[in-house]
Parts: sequence; structure tokens; C-alpha cells
Amino acid sequence: MNYKHTSLAIASLAMLTNPIVVQAKIYMSTEQAQQILFPKKILSKAPIIITDDLQEKLRVASSIRHPFQGDRIWKTADGGWFIVDEVVGKHEMITYAVALNPKGSVLGIEILEYVESYGYEVAQAQWRQQFIGKTAQNAIKLNQDIQNIGGATLSCKHLTDGVKRVTVFYDLALKNYPPQSK
Amino acid sequence: MMTRCRPLLGTFVEISIDQDLPMDAINNAFASIEIIQGLMGFHNPQSELSQINQLSHQQAIDIHPWTSQVLRVAKEIYHYSGGLFNCGIGHRLVAAGLLPQHIKLANVDLGGIEDIHFLAPDLIQSKRPLCLDLGGIAKGFAVDMAVKILTSEGARSGIVNAGGDLRVFGDTPRRLYLRHPDQTKLVLDIGEFQNCAIATSSLYFAKRDCRQSHIINPLAKEDDDMHVHFEGSCSILAKECIYADALTKVLAISGQEQHPCFERFSAQTIWIRA
Repeated sequence: MNYKHTSLAIASLAMLTNPIVVQAKIYMSTEQAQQILFPKKILSKAPIIITDDLQEKLRVASSIRHPFQGDRIWKTADGGWFIVDEVVGKHEMITYAVALNPKGSVLGIEILEYVESYGYEVAQAQWRQQFIGKTAQNAIKLNQDIQNIGGATLSCKHLTDGVKRVTVFYDLALKNYPPQSK
Repeated sequence: MMTRCRPLLGTFVEISIDQDLPMDAINNAFASIEIIQGLMGFHNPQSELSQINQLSHQQAIDIHPWTSQVLRVAKEIYHYSGGLFNCGIGHRLVAAGLLPQHIKLANVDLGGIEDIHFLAPDLIQSKRPLCLDLGGIAKGFAVDMAVKILTSEGARSGIVNAGGDLRVFGDTPRRLYLRHPDQTKLVLDIGEFQNCAIATSSLYFAKRDCRQSHIINPLAKEDDDMHVHFEGSCSILAKECIYADALTKVLAISGQEQHPCFERFSAQTIWIRA
């Protein structure tokens, strides 16, 4: 173990305080996540129209109010699914990818972007817009050099709720896809 | 340089390595954490921990070598902290609504980590019924295990951060920051580090989310003193994250930066009193 402390007895907080307006991290693009979760597989886009009825069922089943978007869904030739979704919590916004096997079990989850801030910012659609479609290559120029933040453990409960919603979505819309005529 | 993040152990686990290695290196590190989650998760009624809680007072239980490693360290820290660190507080967290209830706990004289005995390296039995929660130590162990896997896969330097408890490995000095306990969107620069771990206990997220304190004093006699309340944030620097993680509880509960336990484990304390 070897470390150079700025100071162990932290006396003057002002000197050490490094303000962060928002912590934004972009881990990977959708394409990179596809390669990680479905290596060497070809995925084809399979957008699904989310009717009001379906949206309402998802809301009831998951208690997430933020609408689910049906245009970020991909399918593998052997029936697996790759879905990109986001959770917009009071304190964070997380874009993530979920891989499901043909039976709807979660194969893996990968975080694409993590933006931490205060509620009033995250809640505004306009504010969120600046992060959408960004890739690891053109990361937001905001405190990018501040990595390695320790502290009390963050909870991923909201993300867990989001993943639950994705599995409910599978049951309601993907299980019998394409819809079979009776 | 590659950084990935997955939700594991109830938090966000971020793994970053400085060189380009096949994706399997990080995949295997995440997989080891998933195994630990499957073994030691309180939330999962099928986990090995849940089996221990249900059966270890009735029969000897064969456990995974990793669980055995965590229990040994837990007993060691229990011993040197004079009982301040004790994983046998699961029922307190259940009662506070912080953990789910799997087993009926009423009117049972529950024991603690001190009641666990090793009959063989991976075989344990308990003298009394138990409700262990490894939430205060398994995360640190998972970070250490991920580092072990990464280095065995050829990673020379990097960082594993499990939602704020982290370990840096390799000879590249890295600047570390700690969240400001009063204003969590500010961070404090604590200097440059290499080959060490840091873990933190603080109540700022619990307060923000209006939850009861998750730091339990196992020695408290009265219910009112059970949940420890403290200001600021308690961090421990140690060589391995398992010790850093567990010792933050000793610092938070004892309130003593000079507790002999820290010297015993070559750990250093950082208490930011906001």
C-alpha cells in the first residue's frame, strides 16, 4: 500500500472541495453493449409500437412513470432480445442495455450512461436531451477527469425496477412476437 | 483503457483497466462478483448465506471456500474490534425494513458471528440460530476478488469500484475523491493512491431517502441505541477492500479514530466531519 495524502486529518474542506455540477459517465455505445452481451451475433432492429394500453400495463406492473420507448429493441436470429431503456430517478438518469434469452431470462445488463444530479435537472426532458445519443467517443465535456469517487454505497434500486419493467415488457409484448394470427 | 459498469450487489460495480485486454478479462471479474452475490446475498432465499441462517444451528454446513474466507475475516474483525463488528445483525435490519424477511425470527435467541465454528476449512456449524448479514463485508471481498481475477487475466493496473467502496491496483498513481457528506454532488480530493482500498460508511443517502440508519451497534442493549447515528463520513484505507469495508463499521460505531483495531489491520481512518 502506498499513498500520498493531501491530508489525512481533513481540516479545511474549502481547500479540498472540488465542485461537481453533475457527474456524467458514458461507458459505452449501444453497439459496444451489443457486442458484449451477444458476442459474434447479428442483431436486427425490431421496434415495437407501445400502445397506450401497453404503456399503462407497464406502468402498473413496475411503478415506473417514465414512458417505455419501443424503438430501441433488437432481436438475434435465435430468438434473443437486446433492449435499451433508461431509468430517470430523482437523483440519477441511467441508460442501460438488457439482454434476454429467447425465454425472457436476463442474460446480462450493461450500463451505457450514468448521469447523477439533482431531481429538478434530471426531471426536465430538455435537460436530458443533451445526453441522448452521445457515445463514448464524444463524451460530455463535463468533469470528465473526475473519476474514482468513493463514498457511501449508492443503491441501484431504480435500475432494478427498470430491469423488472423490461422483463414485464417481454411477457406482454415479446413472448409471442410476431403476434400469431388465431 | 476500458471501463464498464454493471448493477451487482445492490449497487453499481465499475471496473476499469488501463490496457486493452480481451473482453473476457472484465467479464470474468464481473462473473466472480455474480458468484459472490449468489453465495452471500441476504435478499436471495436460496443463497448459501440464507442456508446458513436457516440451518447452521441444526447441522454442519458445507460452504464455498469464498464464503468461508469472508466468515473467517468477519470473525477476526469481530475479535479485534471487541464485538463492534458483528455480522449477526441481519434481524435488526429486517426489523427496520432494510432487508427482506425470509425466516420467522420472533422469540428466538439469535447468536452472532462468534457462534460460528469451523469443523473443517469449509465446514461450519453454529451454536445458536443466526441471522447473519454479510452486507458490511462481502462487497469489499467482491472488490478484492475482482482485482485478483483481473490481475490473473493480465491487467497491470486499474480500479474496481463497488458503488463507492473501491480498490486501485497496479503502480499507476490515481487521484481519488470522496463525496462531500453534506453536499453529495461535491467531491473532496484526498490525494493520489496506488495499490490500496478505501471504503466509506455514511448516512447521507439514508437521510436523503428518509431511511433508518443501516449501521447497527451489535452491543447496544436498548432498541433506541441500536441504530447508530453519526455525522459526516467514515472512510478506511487498507490494503484490501474486505478490511476497509468491514472496518468502516468499527469507526462509525466506536467513533474512535484511534481504535486499536485499525493498527492491527494496518488501516488508516478518514473521518470527514461535515
